[in-house]
Amino acid sequence: MALLSNAAVLLGKEVRTEFRSRELLSTTVVFVLVVLVVFSFTFDASTSDSRRFGPGLLWMAFLFAASLMLQPSFLREQSNDTLSALRLAVSDPFAIFLAKIGANTLFLLVTELLMLPVFATLFNVPLGARLPLLLLTFFLGSLGTSIVGTALAAISAQAKMRELLLPLLLLPVLTPVLAASTEVTVGLMAADPVVKWKGLGLLGLFDVVFLTALWLFGEYLLEE
Amino acid sequence: MGKRALLGAAAVALLVAAAYAAFFVAPTERTMGDLQRIFYFHASCAWAGLDAFAVCFIANLLYVWKRQGRYDWLGVSAAEVGLAFTTVVLITGPIWAKPAWGIYWTWDARLTSTFVLWLLYVCYLLLRTLVDESGRRALLSALFGIFAFIDVPIVFGAIRWWRTQHPAPVIMGGANSGLDPVMRKVFFFSVLATHVFMAFLIAERYALEKIRGEVEELREEAEAA
Amino acid sequence: MTKIDSVFWAYTLGWAVFFGFYLTLAKRSKDLRAEVERLKKAREK
Repeated sequence: MALLSNAAVLLGKEVRTEFRSRELLSTTVVFVLVVLVVFSFTFDASTSDSRRFGPGLLWMAFLFAASLMLQPSFLREQSNDTLSALRLAVSDPFAIFLAKIGANTLFLLVTELLMLPVFATLFNVPLGARLPLLLLTFFLGSLGTSIVGTALAAISAQAKMRELLLPLLLLPVLTPVLAASTEVTVGLMAADPVVKWKGLGLLGLFDVVFLTALWLFGEYLLEE
Repeated sequence: MGKRALLGAAAVALLVAAAYAAFFVAPTERTMGDLQRIFYFHASCAWAGLDAFAVCFIANLLYVWKRQGRYDWLGVSAAEVGLAFTTVVLITGPIWAKPAWGIYWTWDARLTSTFVLWLLYVCYLLLRTLVDESGRRALLSALFGIFAFIDVPIVFGAIRWWRTQHPAPVIMGGANSGLDPVMRKVFFFSVLATHVFMAFLIAERYALEKIRGEVEELREEAEAA
Repeated sequence: MTKIDSVFWAYTLGWAVFFGFYLTLAKRSKDLRAEVERLKKAREK
């Protein structure tokens, strides 16, 4: 299918561009680390407290990091007007979005996977018990964040105060992701791990709904 | 001009009648007493707010499709009016909560969701102030409005599920379920009144936006000359 | 403050919000209408 192959090619480009400089990944990872350390001052991290509050601050750290990391998605294209070139190169503009979503989800996941063991060590929260489901949760949450984040980055790139605007627009829209991801993670990290399937369902629903919305309206986001 | 004034008069009359009904016609509730009467105002404003945002959503869709200024005008008008009603919901909630629970705020599912709803449309309006060109402003805010409205049911659903994980006091309980028939009639009358008022406010705000559009046009003409 | 007082305040504050909103609309309408007149006169010159 032309859409998927186009998207795959563009995804390759996004990943290669990032790995050439790695500035985005390294900055994001350090940012999450800084947030984790700063948060450690806000409560006395006993293990039971960490199990309850840790996932929340972990997801908040990821959301803040994402809202900063998603900016370059479109701002990079603006400096050389590569966006017009991209639009000419593909028949379906959705391919551009798929590629960016894929890349952003990937970068977010890499950050999360790197930070998870750090979090586990710093806050004494063992992860082993339900690792696959934990990874699924992170995947669904990151996907949702990327889908909405990429769409809103396209909007904020065309407005003033874009550095502040993107996080501002993003966070209210992402409240379901934050609520659901945190709850599912709390369940999975509990002393007696429990799987909150409804939460995972909500995340999946969010992803499907917004991916569809982006498919329907994405081309207007890229209009000149 | 005459039509709007008529609508306004009807709206005010209905609102006063609905308030009268809430205070004097509706029976006193067993557990909460007279305090429960806030419900008629609080809940009917919540519905009017949501319906205003629904009007905004439809206007946004129409704008993206047809690109006519009047849909943009309708969108911003409906959003502002929706925000006014939602603000009232957020004000009357704590006024109920304080005598009932002793605290002004509780992260109850409905109140939390309403707060997020409020924030979403504040962002909609904020976005509009940050885009200078009128065509671009209309398109970008319409697209954001579409995403925001699609998010609304998910926000309410997710927060309601989240709340079941951490049970806490509920504002006005399941006041909708098990309403005495007289209460139900008073409630629906309140809903009617707030919706007519909503229509009136949107019409007024739309008229203002139309004049603003005229001013913009005249200014552009003056600059071109 | 009795319970019925709270209900009274709820209605009053709510209506105050709507009244305030309506007042800002009326004021802005007046200002903009004046602006339209001004611009039209300037155009005729």
